[in-house]
Amino acid sequence: MPTPPDTAWYPVARSDDAPARHIFHGQLLSQELAVWRADDGFVNVWQNRCLHRGVRLTVGDNDGGELVCRYHGWRYANRSGGCTYIPAHPADAPAQTICNTVFPSVERFGLIWTTLGSDGEPPLVDTLEGASEFGLRPLPVNAPADVVLDHLGSYRFAPAGALTGDPAVRVAGIGDASIELVSTADGHESAAVFFVQPVDAARCVIRGVLAATPGEALAIPVLRHHNHRLSVLRDRIESSVVGHPPGASPAPAARADERSVVPADRAGLHHVRVGRRWDEADGIVGFALEPIEGQLPAFQPGAHIDVHLPNGLVRQYSLTNGPGQTRHYLLAVKREPQSSGGSSYLHESLAEGDELHVSAPRNNFPLRRDVTRTLLIAGGIGITPLVSMAHALSHAGLEHELHYFARGPEHLAFATEIDRLSTRLITHLGLSPEATGVALRTMVADPGPDTQIYVCGPGPLIQATRDAAAAAGWPDQAVHFEYFANPTVLDQSSSFEVSLARSALTVSVPAGRTILEVLRDHGIAVPASCQQGACGTCSTRVLEGEPAHQDVYLNDSEHRAGDAMMICVSRSHSDRLVLDI
Amino acid sequence: MLKLYDYELSVNCYKQRLLLGILDVPYEVIPVDFFPGWEHKSEAFAAINPLGHIPVIDDDGYVLRDAHAILVYLASRYDPSGRWYPTSDPQLLGEVAQWLLFAEGTTNTASAARLHDNLGYDFDIEAVRTGAHRLFRVLDEHLWFAERQQRPWVCAASHPTIADLALFPDVVLSEEGGISRIDYPALRRWTDRVKRIPGFSPMPGIFPATPASTG
Repeated sequence: MPTPPDTAWYPVARSDDAPARHIFHGQLLSQELAVWRADDGFVNVWQNRCLHRGVRLTVGDNDGGELVCRYHGWRYANRSGGCTYIPAHPADAPAQTICNTVFPSVERFGLIWTTLGSDGEPPLVDTLEGASEFGLRPLPVNAPADVVLDHLGSYRFAPAGALTGDPAVRVAGIGDASIELVSTADGHESAAVFFVQPVDAARCVIRGVLAATPGEALAIPVLRHHNHRLSVLRDRIESSVVGHPPGASPAPAARADERSVVPADRAGLHHVRVGRRWDEADGIVGFALEPIEGQLPAFQPGAHIDVHLPNGLVRQYSLTNGPGQTRHYLLAVKREPQSSGGSSYLHESLAEGDELHVSAPRNNFPLRRDVTRTLLIAGGIGITPLVSMAHALSHAGLEHELHYFARGPEHLAFATEIDRLSTRLITHLGLSPEATGVALRTMVADPGPDTQIYVCGPGPLIQATRDAAAAAGWPDQAVHFEYFANPTVLDQSSSFEVSLARSALTVSVPAGRTILEVLRDHGIAVPASCQQGACGTCSTRVLEGEPAHQDVYLNDSEHRAGDAMMICVSRSHSDRLVLDI
Repeated sequence: MLKLYDYELSVNCYKQRLLLGILDVPYEVIPVDFFPGWEHKSEAFAAINPLGHIPVIDDDGYVLRDAHAILVYLASRYDPSGRWYPTSDPQLLGEVAQWLLFAEGTTNTASAARLHDNLGYDFDIEAVRTGAHRLFRVLDEHLWFAERQQRPWVCAASHPTIADLALFPDVVLSEEGGISRIDYPALRRWTDRVKRIPGFSPMPGIFPATPASTG
């Protein structure tokens, strides 16, 4: 009969088993684990299996912010385990659903604890609370945990101060998976707790912790004393179980989707708190949004989130985080002079400690990493997605330069942050539109092979960059842009029919209404975000008909191809459009 | 120029390539069709090594066989720092010899299991795997205490020696012979350290490590 899943917390490693840039290979209750510490100190405990081809992640790389599978280079983010990059699809952002199975982790008593369940915490051990605990060398044993726990009752060791004495050892307590022993000899006393980590039905690891740290000179002798005595005990246990088949294997862990570490509400939103707010530059405020429980979903450079403000408005902001910076989402918000209540609310009202809801990150501006050189061009607050890209390129050791246009030095954001990266930063301050054009034409004069351009900022700067690049012979696919707003004056005068091929529904779109609005009236749920043809979220495949594009998301060749459109603003030249909805 | 009779997938040949790369010594590879050609067992090769195994080096007419003997020669001849084979420190030198002999054991167990699984060699696979685990337990314990004494290499020095290079390939490829290293965390950390030695070169199945930090 299968036993119910064991969701207790167990130690699976020592804290120093997970040094920087290493991946520890562990196992608990038949579940293999990859345990790794990111450069920010966070310890990740993951299922040891790449989602792609099932290869063990422990043969991969810990690059300090992400775990990289050895086989095809899939990258997974610190904390959430979400996939951030798939080298075989360099132009795409991986779907949010590609997320590793992640277990909770807590460091206590110098040990890394986890559970195959989803809640609770490691046991409290009075003897070790507030003590200067001292971890022994863990000892793997080829015997079942319950057998080992029984034998530990007869473990004999000497107190730290009297290693050669003749000790008396008593059992001071027995837990479900631990035993506490006290040894006394020659007036010295040592308390020790031994946790037994069940590896599978036939194996376990003894993890001993002394309640007091011996003096420096005694540290190694005490460790050797226990290591020797425990090894002798291990030999005895292992020879006692030879020929005894182990009992039933533990039941498998709960399914990943039953125990997500990235909780979201029914609308898919994440509950966050403003952990910190600061002045990033003149007129620009920075915010760090922390999860209220669990972890935040993974993001990639170029991603943005919808911020649902308490005043009911929803605004999109790019994340400025670098890879591995997964403790919070970082935003930088410029106060817009014509704010309709978004940036002015954030500037005037949003304080540290306030709570908000945000969407999972979406990325319509993904960064390729399969090129030899990257040119980042920022205008004003358009720096935000590009600073995240600069972090990623710098972390990966890829050549890149960042051209930053701003009105004056007081408007430059992230200056000290960029200074710490390998980014070649060139600032262009207070230039006229003409001088800006000259600077842009100079920087894109040479369409180098294997070079990509990413530009973000005010509409005219993006347009000037695209024009200069096109004139210099850059292919459209090498020039990536993200508008914050669509400067196009929208024409809503046409009326036409829209057939939805997969929904078997035909609707009329009258003048003055958008396709998106009409579809929503008919109960068709279509993802959309900015609703002004800038963000790309509502991009829809066109099967028949000629779309009248009014967006700034697609590039010129994509507009000409006519096989995709932004249904929040674009309309139709033909009487009828057939969409893949 | 120094010649190395070499087979790319041989751990014992890789030990030489590893040291030569670290010492930045130019050498010429003479490929030996070990598998499936069994060229090392051919009559022609018997003139080079009557024992019929590789690696063999030919350093300007000086011919030497046996992996660990070649490591001793190459380090003595080509390492001006005197660290890789520390002849000036009797105790350290004794340790190097001790662990080179231990590495004969890991080659005859862990690497034998790999030959069994990869190339179909007729070994008692359970016996060689059990033997490898017995040695890995000893080595893991040794390295765990070495880490605590701030000299995290096989011999008691602040730097690696040829003993590390003699053991590394047998250990790091053990999973190809069905020998998991999950029970040997100190051994796994040490393989990361070896991979970060300047001049380290990989081989099929052995990958470089990420840098220890971005600095």
